[in-house]
Amino acid sequence: MVCDAGPLIHLDELDSLRLLGGFRPVIVPDPVYEEVNRHRPGCLEKSGLSLEREAIRGPRREETAVLGRLLALDAGETAALGLMEKHPGAIFLTDDCAARLAAERMGYAVHGTIGIIVRAIRMRLMSADDVLRLLRELPRRSTLHIRQSLLEEIISQVEKSADLSPSE
Amino acid sequence: MKTLQAQVPEALYDRVNALVRDGWFRDPGEVLGEALRRFIESHQGSLAEKFVREDVEWGLRGDD
Repeated sequence: MVCDAGPLIHLDELDSLRLLGGFRPVIVPDPVYEEVNRHRPGCLEKSGLSLEREAIRGPRREETAVLGRLLALDAGETAALGLMEKHPGAIFLTDDCAARLAAERMGYAVHGTIGIIVRAIRMRLMSADDVLRLLRELPRRSTLHIRQSLLEEIISQVEKSADLSPSE
Repeated sequence: MKTLQAQVPEALYDRVNALVRDGWFRDPGEVLGEALRRFIESHQGSLAEKFVREDVEWGLRGDD
């Protein structure tokens, strides 16, 4: 898995970086590592993840570089796309719409924080109740932007899927 | 036209001014307007919503 800074920051805010534990390795380019460290100092070292840091600053392919510039991607997102060129079979984890748009255009598999949290039920990393609690707490505990009504829809979908009735 | 006030890092401010100085834009406001337009185009709510829905589907029923 190749990570952009957003999901690492959001998952750490939710005390849930361990949900990435099944992905070996979790690869981050230097600019992403530096960005995460600025926002959440030391969180990656303490995470226990199988983390690999790569000294890459940008993509080699001209198409990727142009796409990055057109979509005004930041240094971390651009470097992460550069890493995806090296690891095209990896999952790219980002919460940035433009970065996701670029990565999907390049044919990469892309997911975000919400997907990782919901996946925790399927992978039996967390109970459905705990995932639902985390989703409900998301606006208060994390800086991930999501429309409240969409979050409520997701919660309802997860409840139905896990065959749970609402706790209220 | 509406007026927005924003605080930006010094380095970013210098780069905005460099674009104006080099003649690419008339003033810093035009740079910020163009930057905002591009950001909004690539961060439309409908797109974000589509990505989140795909993520939930993968989370619940994916195979990796």
